[in-house]
Amino acid sequence: MAYDTALLVGVMFTVATYLILQKNFIRILFGFIIFTNAGNLFLLSISGAPRHRRMPILEEGRPVSDYVDPLPQALVLTAIVIGLGLTVYLIMLLYRVILDSKTIDTEKLFQPEEGDE
Amino acid sequence: MPGLAELNHFPAALLLGVIVLPVLFVPALLLFGNRLGRYTGLLALLAPLASTVWLTCLLREHWSSGTVGTAAIEWVPFLGINLALVLDGISIFYGYVILGVGFLVCGYATFYFSRDEKNMGPFFAYLMFFMTAMLGAVFADNLFSLFIFWELTGVASFLLIGFSYEKRTSQLGARRALLITFSTGLCLLAGFILLGQQAGTFVLSRIAAQGGTVLEGSGWLAPVMLTLIMLGAFGKSAQFPFQFWLPGAMAAPTPVSAYLHSATMVKLGVFLSARMFPIFRDLDLWLPLVAGVGFATMLLGAFLAFRSHDLKEILAYSTVSQLGFLIGFYGLGGSEGVRFDLLHIASHVFYKGSLFMVAGIVDHAAGTRDLRFLGGLGRRLPLTAVAALLGAASLASIPLTTGFISKELALAGLGDLWAEKGALALFFYAAVLLSAVMTVAFALRLFVGAFTGKEPADNPFHPPGFWVQLPPLALAGAALGFGVFPGVLGEWLDHFKVPGLQDSASGEVALWHGINRELLLSAAAIALGILLHGWARKREWHWNRVLSLQRLDRVFDRSVDTLGYVAKRITLALRADWPPAYLPIVIFTLLAFVLSAFVVHRAEFGEFVNTERLFDPWRSLVAVMVCIGLFGVLTLRRWTAQLVALSVSGFFLTFYFVLYKAPDLAMTQILVESASVVLVLVLIARFSTGSRAGTRFEFRWNAKQVTRALLSLGMGGMATLLVVFAELNRHPDPMGYHMLALSQPLAEGTNAVNTILVDFRAFDTMGEITVLLIATLAGMGLMVHYKREKGTDRSAFAAPGFLLGKRPERKGKSE
Repeated sequence: MAYDTALLVGVMFTVATYLILQKNFIRILFGFIIFTNAGNLFLLSISGAPRHRRMPILEEGRPVSDYVDPLPQALVLTAIVIGLGLTVYLIMLLYRVILDSKTIDTEKLFQPEEGDE
Repeated sequence: MPGLAELNHFPAALLLGVIVLPVLFVPALLLFGNRLGRYTGLLALLAPLASTVWLTCLLREHWSSGTVGTAAIEWVPFLGINLALVLDGISIFYGYVILGVGFLVCGYATFYFSRDEKNMGPFFAYLMFFMTAMLGAVFADNLFSLFIFWELTGVASFLLIGFSYEKRTSQLGARRALLITFSTGLCLLAGFILLGQQAGTFVLSRIAAQGGTVLEGSGWLAPVMLTLIMLGAFGKSAQFPFQFWLPGAMAAPTPVSAYLHSATMVKLGVFLSARMFPIFRDLDLWLPLVAGVGFATMLLGAFLAFRSHDLKEILAYSTVSQLGFLIGFYGLGGSEGVRFDLLHIASHVFYKGSLFMVAGIVDHAAGTRDLRFLGGLGRRLPLTAVAALLGAASLASIPLTTGFISKELALAGLGDLWAEKGALALFFYAAVLLSAVMTVAFALRLFVGAFTGKEPADNPFHPPGFWVQLPPLALAGAALGFGVFPGVLGEWLDHFKVPGLQDSASGEVALWHGINRELLLSAAAIALGILLHGWARKREWHWNRVLSLQRLDRVFDRSVDTLGYVAKRITLALRADWPPAYLPIVIFTLLAFVLSAFVVHRAEFGEFVNTERLFDPWRSLVAVMVCIGLFGVLTLRRWTAQLVALSVSGFFLTFYFVLYKAPDLAMTQILVESASVVLVLVLIARFSTGSRAGTRFEFRWNAKQVTRALLSLGMGGMATLLVVFAELNRHPDPMGYHMLALSQPLAEGTNAVNTILVDFRAFDTMGEITVLLIATLAGMGLMVHYKREKGTDRSAFAAPGFLLGKRPERKGKSE
């Protein structure tokens, strides 16, 4: 039981959620990036603590139980790239928002307009 | 079973050719549409011509009267969904109607539009698309393929009604038609699935061959099936209570009205009733549902047509009325089958097609379709007047037209029913007679109102071309010719008899049956109709109020609009446009669900104490470093400093990956981390006045902040518990080890992570690439759109420099 991982995932999710709940765009963006990382780490933790096992690059004559489980790693690799895609999109979105409304405060941006239906 | 037909087979590709041939013309039509203008129609005309020739050759080779030919192209065989095709009397009859009228309509449309009409390529392309969908629907032998083609005709109808999409009436008409036919189409699908499940097959000819025995043991499901399927038919054929969409569909160009909304598409409901007849005719519900709704619609349609003033609206309601009769007609069919159904359909196609085309010509010539402002066109448009006279005569069932023959046969059939069913038949009899009287009245009005009398003084007149008048004349001529020699038509239609549907004993169709009850009733209807016309004319067709039944379309439009409005109000009330309002709710719900699951499974956490606890000093150290980075993000004041702290945590996470024996991850993470840091820097540079900008994070003990903190702690705790839970429930034989073992023999690679990505789970990678592509396109869209809106000066691209990572210009910022 790799409890250091469990705790780290917990801390990362706490910080990320706290940042995402803020009203400042930049904090939300940072929260989002940390959230992505926390999610990746969570996925990776499923492969179990490595202990004395080896990285999943095959060598002649070793039994498979000598290596760590490669599947979570492959999933996380995909997740990292997708996370990057989303982060970049978010950055561009914020860039556009800043250009358009000159604010980084969600409360100012989402102020409901009167008579809006 | 009386109607068990032998099934023979023919090559499926041959019939498929007939069906797809029109749609093959689409590229050519689109390509030459702009250059040819309205003469694109002459190119489109070749499609039904070629299809007709092809179909005729196919029939010579592979079909003889009274047989049922089937063929199938496998599609999703394990679900029973195949592109099955059938060649039997009724499908061939409809096929010829679609192609024949399609040919005339293409010719008519060519000369109907003015020379400088735009978008002729798409128009004829839609028409060809419709033709293929319609042919597919009538030749389909599988319930699913029938359904798909059925809905495709609805799509084509939507496109064609909305052809003049800038007009409000077109928009509303198209929306109504689409919503009505698609929602009832869903009922149809449900009915088809139930029927297929009950029958054990989705092949229509096989179900029909079993006849009513299919329904044995289905109990209360059979009426449900029938109701669902007939709802589909009623929606498509504009039967009560859906009758209002058809007049709205008249916003389409007249060739479309003549083709889709009178001759072919709306007849799909009639076609479906014929297809369902052998299966459901013995059900108790069949007669009241099908005949009841059909004849009620017949009466209602005639009444509404009588009250309308617009030529096309009158014709639309009259079509509703006739469709009601045609559907109700199948409802009356006895166990030996129906008679002369195809003759009624053919008769309707002849006169209604010609009348619609006439209406289009009148509209163009006089600039209005309102009968109150028309008159005296007979002298100016002699050819059109002849077509209108013949069409109206056939509509009114005047002797020497097919309409007369059809009405005589219908009354005779109802007379037989009287002997059989007694009082129940009285309602149908009354419906037919009453609507006949009203039909005579408005048919007379169509001709008298538009073509005789005085010409309104201020009407501008544009003479139509010669060619545009030929197609209605051809159809009207058929109504007259076959009315004089009905035997020819009867004999020809006898070829198309389907065992199980039509009565095998053929009755003779003749013009003169002697003086009998039917003739007298017809004469009475005509006389009463003339009287009714005279009465209505005296009051100048002025009605004191508009019936609410005529305004169902508005009710429908309003309810559709209201739906959107209510949805918007609810969305606004929930503040779904404002993340700070709904995010806590989402997080709270998530926590409530997951934590309650933990409470339920709390016993499993008991094992936690038994597991071996591993302490890894290196990993713990790196974890602490990551946490320090996170702490920095929370506490540092400047944005740039926070960013540095963020990347510290990111880079230490990379080390963590290394300690997890994941070199590929570490490599990717470090690249990704660097890229995002650079991009965030660009972003920060855009709004901050310098590297010192930022705000300190302040925590206050108010409800909002405490809620946020609690929710965050909840999320963190939940994540920790999830990791523990996953660890405790580890599968003894993880999938990954199989991939590891197979990595070399199957994928020829030693790096198992790589082989998984590009071999075992290559589709995931493809999805990942797709996501990146979408993100890129969306991001470009954001920027390019901005550039267009604000002009190049303050462009978001600050030129492509943004994408290249250059520092954006500060021009827009300083204001």
